[in-house]
Amino acid sequence: MTETTVAPPKPVVAEPDKPQKGWAGQNVPRKEDKRLLQGAGVFFDDVKRHGMGYVHFVRSPYAHARIRSVDVSKALELDGVYGTLTGDEVAILTDPFFELSVPPGADMKDYALAVGKARFVGEPVAAVVAATRDLARDAAELVEVDYDPLPPLVDARVAEDGGAPILHEEAGSNVVWEGTFDWGDFEGAVAEADHVVKIKELHFDRFSSTPLECSGCLVEYNRGTGQWTMYCNHQMPGVGAIWMAPAMRVGIDKLRFVTQDIGGGFGNKICLHPYFVACCLLARKLNRAVQWTEWRTDQHTANAHGNERWFQEIEVPVNADGTMLGFKVKAVDDCGAFPRYEPLGCIIWAQVTPGCYRWRNIRVDFTQVVTNKSPVSPNRGYSRMQHLWLTERIIDIVAAELGLDPVQVRKQNYVKHEEFPYETPNGCIYDSGDYARCLDIALDLIGYPSLEEKRVDAESRGKLLGVGIGSTLDSGTNNFGQSMILNPELQFSGNNEVATVKLDIFGEIVVTLGTVPQGQGHETTAAQVVADILGCSPDDVHVRAGHDTYWNSHAGFSGTYASQFAVTGLGAVKGATDMLAGEMKKLASVVLGCTPDDIELAGGMARMKANPEVALPFMALGAILNANNAGLPQDLDVTLNCRYVYRPPFEKPDLERKYGNLTLTYASQVHACVVEVDPDTGVYELVDYAAVDDCGNRIHPQIVEGQVHGATAQAIGAATHETFPYDEDGNLLTPNFYDYHVPHALDMPPLKTGFIESESPFTPLGAKGMGEGGGAGIHAVCAALQDALRTRGSPIVTDSCNPYHRVWSLLQDPAASRAGIEISSR
Amino acid sequence: MRVEGEREFAAPRQTVWEVLNDPSRLAKTMPGVQSFDVQDERHWRANLKIPLGPGGLKMSVDFEKGEERELEYAELHAKGNGVGAIMNMDTAFHLSDAGSGTRMKWEADVHILGPIASMGQRVIQPIVNQQVSSVLAALDAQVQEASAAEA
Repeated sequence: MTETTVAPPKPVVAEPDKPQKGWAGQNVPRKEDKRLLQGAGVFFDDVKRHGMGYVHFVRSPYAHARIRSVDVSKALELDGVYGTLTGDEVAILTDPFFELSVPPGADMKDYALAVGKARFVGEPVAAVVAATRDLARDAAELVEVDYDPLPPLVDARVAEDGGAPILHEEAGSNVVWEGTFDWGDFEGAVAEADHVVKIKELHFDRFSSTPLECSGCLVEYNRGTGQWTMYCNHQMPGVGAIWMAPAMRVGIDKLRFVTQDIGGGFGNKICLHPYFVACCLLARKLNRAVQWTEWRTDQHTANAHGNERWFQEIEVPVNADGTMLGFKVKAVDDCGAFPRYEPLGCIIWAQVTPGCYRWRNIRVDFTQVVTNKSPVSPNRGYSRMQHLWLTERIIDIVAAELGLDPVQVRKQNYVKHEEFPYETPNGCIYDSGDYARCLDIALDLIGYPSLEEKRVDAESRGKLLGVGIGSTLDSGTNNFGQSMILNPELQFSGNNEVATVKLDIFGEIVVTLGTVPQGQGHETTAAQVVADILGCSPDDVHVRAGHDTYWNSHAGFSGTYASQFAVTGLGAVKGATDMLAGEMKKLASVVLGCTPDDIELAGGMARMKANPEVALPFMALGAILNANNAGLPQDLDVTLNCRYVYRPPFEKPDLERKYGNLTLTYASQVHACVVEVDPDTGVYELVDYAAVDDCGNRIHPQIVEGQVHGATAQAIGAATHETFPYDEDGNLLTPNFYDYHVPHALDMPPLKTGFIESESPFTPLGAKGMGEGGGAGIHAVCAALQDALRTRGSPIVTDSCNPYHRVWSLLQDPAASRAGIEISSR
Repeated sequence: MRVEGEREFAAPRQTVWEVLNDPSRLAKTMPGVQSFDVQDERHWRANLKIPLGPGGLKMSVDFEKGEERELEYAELHAKGNGVGAIMNMDTAFHLSDAGSGTRMKWEADVHILGPIASMGQRVIQPIVNQQVSSVLAALDAQVQEASAAEA
């Protein structure tokens, strides 16, 4: 059993003397925690309605099969069954969801239920609604589906082969999207280089971060207004509505999303629209509220996985002094049976094209294909995690093969602190950072200078000790214009988020957000920002929990995803609060007979700067405007109810060159990991671990720390045991927690954390998004394993996930993993 | 999954062939048979209880005879449905002389689908092996019984 320790009370701090300006930066008590700890949170499954029905989906047991017929008659005969829905009905009542890709991906038809064909094990084929959840499940067993099995496609690498089964005949190809990204002069770099290292193939495994709460919704249909209300845990309602409304042939105003508490998201809850559409159709058909609560096995089998990616024919030109000049790679991305959020993953990686490094000659041939597996959706670190794992693997493999020190190679090739803001080869602007400094802190935390002594000690106990580094970026606040690089016809660009802040009759300060928090503490951090501007305590600020379309605090990109709340969400809060503060001063100046500039907000009062005794409490301002306003000037333009839409400063990218700033902020992470491997069995243990983050100004350090702990645990899971392998028939072999091992507290190493704060020059609060930094940990474990095995034939770690059996295989046959490595030198 | 093997019977080919083509005898080779219906000479249906999980996995299996060359080769296709599992099995038998007895080479392509396939991977292979041994032992007994009856 390993010892689990929380981070030191005061993690390594780079700016210890930084002045404290206000509430932002302090660990105030989290507003959400009282209700959550007392069991008083409200999750979608807590919401019930009189006479409601429970939905159970009939799912395909075949990875690939034509559906000859669906017979629901026996299910309908059962007492307590309210009704059913089939793919044939869905095909009549709805249109396919719109696709983001150009053809062939654009021609793939995706409905709420399988229409004519099932394309992955677990795909919903029909739905049954009954008086109880168990009855619905039993009745679903009575639905008879006649399948004609077809050969499945489970390996993305052969998806383009002539004999490969075609999943979507209407598209005529398994390719969703393909394209070449070419920046700098790769051939020139090869000609200039002293060495060219070739790596035949690397593989980023399919897995998914696991929320405690599965997906679901309770849907009510209002026949009078034609409107659906979804009490749910969708984490990106803005985009969810854009998918759902056209398919359902209604306006977006007919879809109301309501959330309160959500038990984790990580991206899994972005692509819920097929399930939600099925539930909406059932609620209307049966004139009854219906609730779907996903079972855990269904969540694993058929919700949303992370993208699996193969990296092939990698070439890396390097100079003798260790300067990396660039790389070339062919990437094959497996998005499962339907594109859904894809092909955005074909461009999202480009936000971090060079990783943390200064190399400038990069060529990526990117192909994304469908396979008979569960569709993917953005998963914490979406698409960048795969690419950054590649860049880190390149660094360590090249360093090992050329006898270079992995620490020195990193420092030599990292973007330098003085080079920020740094423009990458594809036009992204890294805002701020100091990667070398973060690396030093991480190495210090794991006692790197005494590593050789630890190695000797481990050997005396029959263990192989290794150390590994992962240095990654968490690019936050998307410029959705990057989607136009994939499909110039798309009308998406920029980004936005909304907040409203008002002062109510009795002086209540009420904040509504457009975001959809899933545990990130939005209520707390929003209150800190408001309190700093209005001169009151966060306790005086009431932030409404969750999201409700009726609040009118949302925009097209509202949601919680892609590491952006600290920028877009709090940017909107700051904007709305600045507006309110201006109005409060204006109103106070009218009442007190002075100018707004004479007024300051402090201690819950609007008071005269020159004479603080002359003051109006916030309650008075709220009451005067809302309930006692006779005599106020007619031209007084004050509502005390301010709505602000924050828009990051983005331009549309240059589509021809695939060039432009794709995200606003770049938080950085450097993780360092020490492993001990049993050479006889391949069993290993993480014996030391450090995570150092730089996310600019931290609004609430404890919340940041929590995010780091969570991301690190998910990274360790992805690196050690969490994987979604399929057999040759397309069966998922890890469909629940029996086989899919998520790290629990006892699996966690002693976790040490550190940070620096490189203020972002581009954001309202100098903060950066930082929720998705776990990719560093995946690579740190891989690198540590490779380092540990170096005396056993120097096997190459080619997979992102390395369960014990895979390490044992590396120990047994190190030459097999080395077969793909070639070095040519001048 | 693909399983294959070879077995010798102390009986002439004609006897083995007849056993393989006699549904009533074949039914006795299958473990856990709860009922067996002959629909016509090429189609049979069996209700089986496979020892997987608590209470066993009940499965209704349709058998269809495929290509055959008398005394030499036969195919049998089976498609089973149960709660949480679908089984498709294509089996081929090759008969040849082995002295005064018969050598039977056989191969089966077994596909198990559904939640059982996902969750039971660790136990399915041993169960398939166990079932195959049991079928072959029972087949041997049926061949001997048929030989004794002919004598």
